[in-house]
Amino acid sequence: MLNYVIKRVLLMVPTFAAISLVIFVVLNFAPGTPGAQMATGEGGGQDASTAGEQRESYRIFKEQFNLDKPVLYNTRYNLGKDEIRAELSAILNESGDVPAGRRIEAQENIENWGRYAVPGLIAVLTDLDATANLRALASQRLTFNGQRQNKNVYKKNLSDDERSEVKAISKANSEIRGWSFQADSPPEDIDAIMAEWSQWYDTNAGDWAYSASDKAQIFLFDTRFAKYWNNLARLNFGVSHVDKRPVLQKVISKLKYSITLSFSSVLLIYAISLPLGIWSSIRQNTLADRVVTTVLFMMYSLPSFFVAVFMLNLLTRGTPLQIFPTSGFESLDTSQMTLLEYLKDVGWHIILPIFCGSYAALAALSRYARSGLLDVIRSDYVRTARAKGLPESVVILKHAARNGMIPILTLLASLLPTLIGGSVVIEVVFGIPGMGSFLFESINLRDYNAVMAVLLISSALTLIGMLISDLSYALVDPRITFE
Amino acid sequence: MSQPLLPDVAPPEDQTFGDIVWIQFKKNRVAYVSLWGLAGLFLLATIAPLLASGRPFVWDIGEGRSYPWFSSLLDRNYFENPVDIFFNLILILAVPLAVLITVRLKQIRGLGLDKRPRRAKIAREARMLVGVLTVAFIGILFTPHSEPYTQYADIAEERMENGDPTTAVFPPVRYMFRKTGFKSLESPSWSHWLGVDESTRDVAVRLLYGTRISLTIGVIAVAIYVTIGIILGALAGFFAGKTDIIIQRLIEIVMSIPSLIIILVLVAFLEKTSIFHIMLVIGLVRWTGVARLVRGEFYRLRGQDFVTSAVALGYPTWKIIFHHILPNAMGPVLVAATFGVAGAILLESTLSFLGLGDLSAPSWGQTLSEGYSSGAWHLILAPGFAIFITVSLLNLVGEGLRDALDPKMRK
Repeated sequence: MLNYVIKRVLLMVPTFAAISLVIFVVLNFAPGTPGAQMATGEGGGQDASTAGEQRESYRIFKEQFNLDKPVLYNTRYNLGKDEIRAELSAILNESGDVPAGRRIEAQENIENWGRYAVPGLIAVLTDLDATANLRALASQRLTFNGQRQNKNVYKKNLSDDERSEVKAISKANSEIRGWSFQADSPPEDIDAIMAEWSQWYDTNAGDWAYSASDKAQIFLFDTRFAKYWNNLARLNFGVSHVDKRPVLQKVISKLKYSITLSFSSVLLIYAISLPLGIWSSIRQNTLADRVVTTVLFMMYSLPSFFVAVFMLNLLTRGTPLQIFPTSGFESLDTSQMTLLEYLKDVGWHIILPIFCGSYAALAALSRYARSGLLDVIRSDYVRTARAKGLPESVVILKHAARNGMIPILTLLASLLPTLIGGSVVIEVVFGIPGMGSFLFESINLRDYNAVMAVLLISSALTLIGMLISDLSYALVDPRITFE
Repeated sequence: MSQPLLPDVAPPEDQTFGDIVWIQFKKNRVAYVSLWGLAGLFLLATIAPLLASGRPFVWDIGEGRSYPWFSSLLDRNYFENPVDIFFNLILILAVPLAVLITVRLKQIRGLGLDKRPRRAKIAREARMLVGVLTVAFIGILFTPHSEPYTQYADIAEERMENGDPTTAVFPPVRYMFRKTGFKSLESPSWSHWLGVDESTRDVAVRLLYGTRISLTIGVIAVAIYVTIGIILGALAGFFAGKTDIIIQRLIEIVMSIPSLIIILVLVAFLEKTSIFHIMLVIGLVRWTGVARLVRGEFYRLRGQDFVTSAVALGYPTWKIIFHHILPNAMGPVLVAATFGVAGAILLESTLSFLGLGDLSAPSWGQTLSEGYSSGAWHLILAPGFAIFITVSLLNLVGEGLRDALDPKMRK
């Protein structure tokens, strides 16, 4: 048994890695970019300098969140003159037949390639056969792409080494910022700038002389996935794109609501469905059983968002009744309340969400319980128990129910992910600020890190739930072993 | 003359497995009625333009007689959604197809074949017919035909008022689900049976056309994932060994990602969500259940004698998998698919309810979402019951099918 558990837990590691890879790839290749509203650098009415600043702040935003990196593997060390030239001429659009989408893409590419594009840009810049416009653009791009990323610039409590490094990088960056020219600049200016660039490139050439191990490292590790995993391994889910707070901290602050809700739901589900299932199975084919079965079936087919909206409208909005509060987990001002009052207040708020979130599972579980008991109630050992003269209640509750309920107990494990993940629809309808609402908001705001975190956490819980479910089978049923 | 060893009894009727299941299914009255209910829903979806369309059947305002309703059916300017084109095609072909099928069935019966060869022949021809129809449908999709958008109802009304000679025969309702301009949130009345929604559209017509969307989403999404599930499950179960291990891992990975959440995320991140995206996303995420089911069935069946003899007879592997084993494994898959359609319909309306669905399609969830924001009862109850009824019918049929397939339940 212990060996089996260890084996399963070890197997979970590669599975989880694969899950994170799948989710990561899916999210990163899904259309729509975070912070895209910042990227309106090409906007029509704006003057060029604001547009340029906007693009630059968008580039820095992308750099901060590694969004400028390729998703899975990085071959940017191979970027040469031809690729750079193709993108630059697409941006310039001298022939006038480049579609707008391609131009935006070229702009993004050049930005995202960052310092990897420098050798190519230098090559275009020094290529005297290239048109003046192309070379001018190359010089303008170099003033951005030549800059080093200043990682620690916003960090607090810098050490002396770090502080001097930050200073050195800012100095180098501000130095090259002015070295750009226009196509119609006077030739002597151009020559001066060219001289600066070639000298700069000679001194820094080591940065672009990649050895085989450098290339391998870049190929694998200078990617979004590697960076993400690097953080994830230290349980760092990154910061929210929206308010720059750590995602994990945000998720934990939501847990209180979701766990309260789901925990009470699960209690309610089991407290009602087990007795109900047993009750209706011993009255099989009577009128009462038929009524219960039909009602359960209808509950099972009713969409929960419909019931939620129905209840909300019926009981909270004063059309016609106003018994419960319309939304939220607690009243706005809870500071004056005693504990008892507070509990009552929360209970009053979450009765409807709990009911709407649990009736479907309740119906399903009761049906399971009924059919589970019906399966065993005709077996030989139950007949033997009756023949021994045991009272019916002992026969049913002690002999039959124990075996008939095995599948039901193991279902508990599969409830674990919903326990934390919460129900998106119910939370959104009733305005409960739990995990479900958080996920929904993050989706709408394209907050990738938050969505990733919620998906990964609930996937991990599902994995654990599946393990517990398998183990609980073995625990309650001695016939199942894992040897 | 020697006496026969057995008394003279009629030979047992030649019953296929399908026959037995069908007889059992019919014994379950609720499920049987539900199946007809579903057929009714399908019919309603098909004849929607007969009931509500802005194009008159006959139109004559002195410039010669025209028949705009008939030409509108394949008009991509009027019915933008391929789903509508599909149902319209069925509507157009309903009568000729019915005649063709009846005549052909009679002919085949007249051939005097035995039951099984006769059925094989019918199945073969049915497959051909479906193939031809699919090709025709795809052909129509790729040859878009569109007409200028004319407000026939308004023109007719104006001419009537002016006393101009006008012949216009309209369907009972003179507008389609996109028609706006009624009084916002009007309660049900004789002119709008289920009232008007927040965006000033007629709810009844939207629900009617919404039937098309819901049924299509359910069926196609499930068709996608059943196909994926069958192929992967069959490979895993038949070849076992390494193939099995790889596919099992794949199933485990996809299963561990909560499907509702990932579907929500995927659909939300698509830039212009169409109902085909929703179908595809549901189809690509939910196949694990079917794959596990099929894998289990194949594990059970592959050691049996009929498989061994098929191997011994030298049939190609794909034929053994798909012609010999798969038909024996289809029962549970069919049950899962029926429940799956109900699940997919629920999922789509949930997505639309959250505002993540296809905004151009008249989805039931969308109407309910307006009910949530506006608090108007008719916008909550009407779509809610539409979803409830459809899902219940499917669940009832699914349960009937499951009981009919279960030998223990046979009476």
